[in-house]
Parts: sequence; C-alpha cells; structure tokens
Amino acid sequence: MKKNDSDELIIANREIVLQNKEIESRAAELIIANKELLFQNEEKENRAAELVIANKELAFQNEEKENRAAELIIANKELAFQNEEKENRAAELIIANKELAFQNEEKEKRAEELSIANRELKNAQDDIRKLNDELEQKVIERTAQLESVNKELESFSYSVSHDLRAPIRAINGYTKILKEDYAETFDADGVKILQAIISNSKKMGELIDDLLAFSKLGRKQVTVSDIQMTGLVNMVREELLFEDDENIPEFEMGTLPNAKGDKSLIKQVWINLISNAVKYSRNKTQTKIEIGAYTKDNLIVYYVKDYGAGFDMQYYDKLFGVFQRLHSQEEFEGTGIGLAIVQKIVQRHNGTVWAESKVDEGSCFYFSLLA
Amino acid sequence: MSYHNVEILFVEDSTDDAALTIRALKKSGFTHKLYHVINGAEALDFIYCKGAYADRSDKEFPKLILLDLKMPKVSGLQVLEKLKADQHLKSIPIVMLTSSNEGPDIEKCFALGANSYIVKPVDSDNFFNAVKEIGLYWMVLSQPAH
Repeated sequence: MKKNDSDELIIANREIVLQNKEIESRAAELIIANKELLFQNEEKENRAAELVIANKELAFQNEEKENRAAELIIANKELAFQNEEKENRAAELIIANKELAFQNEEKEKRAEELSIANRELKNAQDDIRKLNDELEQKVIERTAQLESVNKELESFSYSVSHDLRAPIRAINGYTKILKEDYAETFDADGVKILQAIISNSKKMGELIDDLLAFSKLGRKQVTVSDIQMTGLVNMVREELLFEDDENIPEFEMGTLPNAKGDKSLIKQVWINLISNAVKYSRNKTQTKIEIGAYTKDNLIVYYVKDYGAGFDMQYYDKLFGVFQRLHSQEEFEGTGIGLAIVQKIVQRHNGTVWAESKVDEGSCFYFSLLA
Repeated sequence: MSYHNVEILFVEDSTDDAALTIRALKKSGFTHKLYHVINGAEALDFIYCKGAYADRSDKEFPKLILLDLKMPKVSGLQVLEKLKADQHLKSIPIVMLTSSNEGPDIEKCFALGANSYIVKPVDSDNFFNAVKEIGLYWMVLSQPAH
C-alpha cells in the first residue's frame, strides 16, 4: 500500500501539475484574449469617435444641401422670372420684327422709287451731257466761224491798208506833179482845185490809217503791268509838239496814283485826251488844263479838264463813236478816231470812260482803271 | 532801157508807184543808173542773168535793191528770202517798199534779213521825202560791205 498510494499521489500530482499548466496556459490565453478584447474595445471606441465625426460631417453636409436647395429655389425663381422676361422680350422682338419687316418693305418701295428717280436723273444727265456736247460743238463751230470772220477781217484791213492806199497815193502824187510841172496850164481856180484834190487824198490816207490803227487795237494783246502814272503823263506832255505861234495852255497836275494796265495803250489814252484838251483850248487865251485823279471803291478815276470850246451834251452819245465829230473840220481838224480809240483801250482794261461838258466853257474827260 | 551797169534795181508792179518813185529820185538829183522790173520773177531773172537777161554780166550786181512787197507771181518776200539766203548776194542792201503798215509783214521782212522797210506814204510830199532819204542813205552814206 504505500507505494500504491504514492504512485497514486504522484499520478495525482502529475495530474495537478498538468492541470496547473493547463490553467496557466488558459490564463495566458485569457490574458491574450483580454488584450485582444481590450484592443478591440479601443478600436470600437475609435470607430465610435470616427462615427461621431462622420455623423457631424453628414449633419453639416445635410445642412449644406438644405442651404443649396434653398438657393436653388431662389435661383429657380429667378430663372423663371428671367424666362418670363425673355418671353416678353421675344414678344416685343416679334413686334419689332414685324415693324422692321414693314419698314423694310417701305424701304424697298423707296429704293425702287429712288432707282426710278435715279434713272430719270441719269437720263436727264445724259440729256444735259448731250446738250453740253452739242453746245460745245456749237462753240467750236462758232469759234471757227469767228476765227474765219476774224481772218477775213484781217485780210480786209490788210486789203484796205494795201489796196486803197495805193490809188490814193497815185491820185495825190499825180496831182502834185500837175501842180508842180504844169502850174502855168492852170488858172488860179484850177490850182486851188488841184490843192483840194491833194489835201482830200491826204485826208483819206489819214482816215484809212486811223481806221486800221483802231481795228488793230481790238486784236492787240493787253500786257498788264504797274504803271507809274505821273511819270507817264509827264512824258506825254513833254512829247507834245507846239507850234511857235500856238496858244500854249498852262498845265495843272499833282501826283497821280499808279494803276495796272498796258503802258503803251494807256499812254495812247493820255496822248489822245491831252492833245484833244490842247486842241479845243486853242481859241482861249491864258487858259489851263487840269490833270488829276481820285479813287472810288477799287478803281482809280483819272481826268483831263480843259476850259476850251466844249461840246453840246445833247450829242454825247456820238462822242466816242468811230469817225464821229462834234466840230467841223474848219473849226478843229481831226478824223474823229481819237476818242473811239480812248474808249476801246479803256474798255479793254475793264474800265469806263465818260465826259462832262458845257459849250464854250470846257470839257472834262474821265477814265477809270483798276488800282 | 539798157540793163547793163545797173546801180539800183527797182522791183515794183504798180506803174503809178513806179512812175512816182522814179520821178522822186530824179527830182532829188539821183543820177545813179536805175532799172525797173515789174515783178519778182523778172527781178530774179535779172539778178541771176537768166531769161531776157541771159547776156547780162553776172559780175555786175546792183548796189541797192528797192523791192515792193506785194507783187503777182513771185512776191517781194520770196525774192528777199532767195537773195538773203545766197552767200554771194546777201550783202546787197534790200529796202522793202510797201503800202502795208501791218505788223506781221514788217516782222517777216526783218526776220528774212531786209535792211530797211518803208511804208509808202499817201501824201506825195512825204513819199518824195522817203524815197529821197532811202536813196541818200543807201547810195551815199552807207558803206558797202565789199
């Protein structure tokens, strides 16, 4: 017995140790499991915390969505309003469109009318152009006619100059021969008649020369320059030839303003006016001739005034005519071309010539030139 | 009238002007030998010793030519042009005589080399004086070129 008991005890001991070990291992496992549970718990707590955060986030998002929804509602309303506005606008546009379509139609009508008017204008223009062309053609034709007439006139004056002068020269020359070489064949009356033929043929020569000089004036080119008038008139006065026994008038003249014109032609005007003044003063003793000028607007008016024979203003319209004379040849000699030349020259300078006179008291002749 | 040793050649188609001019020269005491031809063609025949003047000596040139401007056939202008273009003849003084005092004629004559230009005056006193002066100037006072 004892041995059995011990064995049994040993076996029991061993059992207990084994059981102890089992228990220890179980405890160790429990510790591990406990740790695991602890960890899991921790995890769950973390997860719960995360869920709380996520929940908060969701709540926030929800709120946001609600806000957004409210905004969308407002925006929607706004859009609805805009839509309405657009519809109104579209309606207005339709009306405006109709208006425009109407206006367009009107414009088309107007355009058509304009096109017709344009065509009419063009036709009128064509007519005018045609008329113009015709007119130009007429001008060309007329110019050619005038030129040919002018040429005819020129050849006429050449003929007058050449052909008429020759026979007059022969009449004059032969009569002179009769008078010189056959004087004894004629009685006093006969010699007188020969003298009359001589002086008449001479006179006719002068008339022809004057007429030609006058016709030449119309063709002469007017060369305009500044004329020193005082000097020019003094020159004319110095060139005047007086006979010894002639009644020489006194001249009164101040400084004359200058003018623009053709110097040689204006000189001829002064020559004619001054020599006329001298001629018609011939029968007055101690007489004078006044030469002066005044300005009027943009013109200068020059004058030559004498206290001589004068003329009757009743015949004024004949004064400047070619070969028109208001005095007889016996009273005052002349061909009657001088004042016609004066008028032609002044007119070619776009000026005017006029005169005032009283019989036996004198005359004053005026002419105007551009300053 | 002999056409030898002629000193003044007078070209004039008008019988009247010719008679008056010749008389004026004679009255003024000109004794120079003057020969009168009646147109330009005859004047050229005379100068160039042709036609009726074939036997004239071509060494004898007149000392002065009085030349009327307007003549039938060959005009004074044509004669003037021909003579003044001739190297041997251009020194002979030529005085143009004319009834015309128209500008273009005068210009043409001087352009062609005329030595003087006289417009024949109507008045016989002036005419005689003019002719006398031409003769005096060109035959007595003016020195010949050769």
